[in-house]
Order: sequence, then C-alpha cells, then structure tokens
Amino acid sequence: MNEQIIEDRVAVEVNEDHCSSCCICSTLCPYEALNKHPETGKIFLEIEKCQVCGLCYSACPAKAIDTIYYDIDSLIRYLTRAKQEYESDELVIMCKGSAPDFSGIGKLFGVTKFIPLSVPCIGRVPEEVFLKALLMGIKRIHVLACDEDYCRFQRGSPVTRRRILALNLLFGQLGYGTEVITLNRNSLKVKVDRDLCIACGNCVYYCPYNAAKLDSPGAVSFDLSACKGCGLCVAMCPALALDMENWERESISNLLAELSSGMKLPKILVFRCQWAVFSPLDNGELAPNIRSIDLPCASRVDTFHILEAFQKGIDGILIASCSEEDCKQEGASKNAQHSVTALKERLGQIGLQDRLHFCTVSPRYPERFNRELEQFSQKIETISLKESK
Amino acid sequence: MIITTQKPLDEVLDLISPYRNILIVGCDGCTQPPRGLREAKTLSQLLELGGKLRNREFTFKEITHPKQCDSYLAASMLRPQIDGVEAILSLACGVGVQTLTKVLPELPVFPAQNTHFMGAEEREAGLMEEMCAGCGDCLLGLTGGICPVTRCTKGLLNGICGGSRNGKCELNPERDCGWILIYEQLKKQGKLELLKEFRPPRDYQIRGWRVTT
Repeated sequence: MNEQIIEDRVAVEVNEDHCSSCCICSTLCPYEALNKHPETGKIFLEIEKCQVCGLCYSACPAKAIDTIYYDIDSLIRYLTRAKQEYESDELVIMCKGSAPDFSGIGKLFGVTKFIPLSVPCIGRVPEEVFLKALLMGIKRIHVLACDEDYCRFQRGSPVTRRRILALNLLFGQLGYGTEVITLNRNSLKVKVDRDLCIACGNCVYYCPYNAAKLDSPGAVSFDLSACKGCGLCVAMCPALALDMENWERESISNLLAELSSGMKLPKILVFRCQWAVFSPLDNGELAPNIRSIDLPCASRVDTFHILEAFQKGIDGILIASCSEEDCKQEGASKNAQHSVTALKERLGQIGLQDRLHFCTVSPRYPERFNRELEQFSQKIETISLKESK
Repeated sequence: MIITTQKPLDEVLDLISPYRNILIVGCDGCTQPPRGLREAKTLSQLLELGGKLRNREFTFKEITHPKQCDSYLAASMLRPQIDGVEAILSLACGVGVQTLTKVLPELPVFPAQNTHFMGAEEREAGLMEEMCAGCGDCLLGLTGGICPVTRCTKGLLNGICGGSRNGKCELNPERDCGWILIYEQLKKQGKLELLKEFRPPRDYQIRGWRVTT
C-alpha cells in the first residue's frame, strides 16, 4: 500500500528551491498540511492532510507551489478559448460549491451572455488570472463565492473577499475603475415540502449540522443558516419531502436522461462528489461510453437516481466519494456508503450487484480515480460481453 | 414502532407475477424503518428491473398512506386510486395488509414486508430490537420500566434465573440479561425491594383477541 502512495502522482507539490520560507502558505492552509521544516527552514507538505483547496498555490509569492488542477496556465488557456466560444467580455468565476445553473448565475449578476469559469473554490484563483483576463479584453469579472461560513475549504471564501478588495483598488489605480470585479455570495441549501413531511425524524437524526428540527404538531423545519448543503437528508428522506437547491431530484433525473441517451455502450455513469474528483476545465477526458454527474457530497447520492439510471439502460454505476476523513461535510459521506451497500444487497437479489460500485478517492491522487474507473469499466465490459453471448 | 424487514425480491416477484397493473402502497405510520413514498418508488424500480430480467413487464403506481391500519382512512384514500389496478403491494405491517384486504375485498393485497415485532431502532448500530410483546398485562411499573417478557430471553416474570454471566444471557452471550438490566434500573431508583415481590404466572386469558375502547 505504501509503495502505491509513493508511485502515485500527487496534486500539490512544494518546490524547495523556490521556497522563500515566508510561511504565507502555512498560515493560510486550513488543514495544517504545510509546515516549516525545523532543519532546512523550508516549507514541506504533508500530502495526506492536504485537501487540494489550492489556497497555497494562489497565495505563494515565490511560485514555489505547483498544482495540477486549475493552475494559471490551464486557466488562461481555458479563458482564451472560452472567450471566443461564448463571444462575451464578461467573465463569471464561480465556485462549484454554491453556483446554481447558468441561467441562475445570469439572474444573479444581471447578465445574459458571459464566459463561465467553474472552479472548486474561488480562493484557488491567483491574482494573475484576473490581471490576464483584463489584458485579454474582458471588461467585467463577476465572482460568485460561497457564503463565508459555507466555504468547504474554510478559508477560501474569506481570502477571496480580501483578494478582490485589493484587486479592485489596484485596477482603480491603473485606470480601469474600482468596480471591475463584483463579488456575490451564494449558498445552496435544503428545501422542504412540509405537506409531504411525515415527521419521521430521519433528517433530524442524520443532519451533521443540527439544522433540522421536528416541530409539534409534526413537520420538520430547517435552520437554513446552519444547513451546509450536503444533501444527506434529501437522500435519506423516506417521504421524498426534501430537496436540494441546484441538485433537485428532478434536475438530476433530467440530466441523467439527457446523458444516457447520448452514450456509447456499455454505458457507465459516475456519480462523483465534486470534492473527491476535480475535473479538468474542458471536461473532455471521459470516454464516449462514460458520463459523470457531480454531486455536492457523495451523501446526496440517491438510491432513486441509481435505480433510475439502471432503468434507463445504464450498464454500470460508479460512486466516487471522499473518505470519511476527507469528507467536507462532517463525514456525511459514510452514510452514502451505507446506502449504497444496502442497495447493492437488494440489487444482488435480482442479479445486478456487480453493476454498482462505491469507491473513496481524493483529488490529491488523481490517478486513483482513473484507476477505479478503468477497473470498473473493464468489469462492466466483461459483464456486457457475457450477456450478449 | 412496528419493525419490518423487506421481503426478498424473488418472493415479491413470485407473488405479483400473475398481475400486470400493480399499486404499491407505502405506509407513513409506525413501520420502522419508514416505508413511505421513497420505499414505494425504490421497490417499484427494483421490481421493474427484476421483472425485466425475468421477461415480465409490470406497470406500477406508487402512493403512500398515513396509516394503512385505519380502515376508514384506508378505504376513503385508496378507493379513488384503484381504477385499473389488478393487485396491491403493501409496504405496511401485517395489520396494514389485512386492513387493505378488508376494505378492498375485490383486490388481492400482497405484503412486501416481513413483520417482526414491536420494537425500537438503535440508530447507531442500525439494529431493531423487540421491546413489547403486547401481552395485555403490563408489568413495567414493577420492573423499573424494562419488560421481562421481551428483554429476558426466557420471558421470566420472576428473575433472575441463575444463568446470567457478566450481565449476558446464558442462552445467547451477545444478548443482555433482561433481569440484570431490571436490577440495575431498580437499584438506581432505590426500589430494589420490588424484586422481592412475587409476580404470579401470567393470565393468558387476558391477552384477548378483542378489546373495547
């Protein structure tokens, strides 16, 4: 196992030669993964603690930290291409954690045409990208960050506020005006249909944030300021009385139908926690028989959607989750594993158990997810071949 | 809570195999774990998938009901739903299944659950344990709020039997000795003298088949 870890490429690395020992990264890191080496005085990274938020990468003044996701070069490459594709000079940079769909974004900022840039955490986007965007001819930059207490990486959202304040001042001095960048905040939370609620108390038990309360005379209500949008209660609600902003049961069903109709055989669908797998910007890396649906947390994975996917002719379903330790939602992901295991047992009764697989991965080791996907694809291909004979 | 477990899908598929249009009725009453609309939909999806592999095609409609054991509610809410329905698959306990049979005598009603007992769920462990046998002669006031009929493996009314080892039952070392639990509880309450009281054998005639409210 240890050998495996050494072999795997890691997502974040510190280049000691460039490190100036300023320690900005270690003061910013929400996970205490970056520390000063007592002998060399340089910063060293404990990769097992790293959650790949990218704050250190965006903040390092010496460019001593490298990351394989959303680095400056790939962001600029994307912007250059997307600017032409979307024919707009307005850029919207949004955090995956709190961004509604594109029409919702437009409403939020009052724009109809814009270049979308979706990243896990705005805090990982360095100043340089904002500057380059202006140089490219982008006139306005809208930033959609999570509410500060909703940030999955704890410090990403507060850092964004300070960074934008400083950038706007700088743009003002340069003569671009002080309002080039506008910052909006958003959070995606639970919705409850009290008419459907049967007051069973499942959500009260499962909510990691104690946001659910059972009122007398018997329907649940949520303290939305406490809700952090994991979606676990939605997946656990036996009455289908709960839903999740932007990850509504119906929108996932619609997406599922759309994806499955265009896939090659054997069809493999991945439900992935958006913090467990970081997708490249162009998302073009998946084979034509594989499609994925991002979830706010693996705990939002709904047995309803898994079965619906099978009904729609999907041959195999892979659930990619963070481990309980890495889970950004107080370990809610472990419940996903329980639900999937229980469902697998029932699928076993009709001979479909091998078509569902749950794995825990982390973006810190990008190859592990690829490996899981490859192994699962091979298994599904074998099953499909056997059945066609 | 009435504790139920799901019947094996094969068995359910066998039960419904002569029919095509099936109404799946969840129960939001006391079945635990809850067998509401989600379970009704899940079951319909699983049966459709299972049916497909057996070359059987079903048309399911899924609804849920506040409590299937209330015959008045069951009749008034289900009557309007049964147009074209050939069979009903109930997610309620055995009481619900029988009530539906009574109020909809023209339709076959099948259980999708096995009903076990009246009990409670230990959420952390996901375990459901029997707590009440419905004996009709409640002793809880004399036994510190712990039922000897269900919690003592042997159902002894005058424990402890002498087979208790380290607080566990001699018949099942995983199971707590009910009478040790009663003893500890009475000790906490300062009521150990209750243990000296002789509890006469149960009058099984009390557990009638019918009571009036």
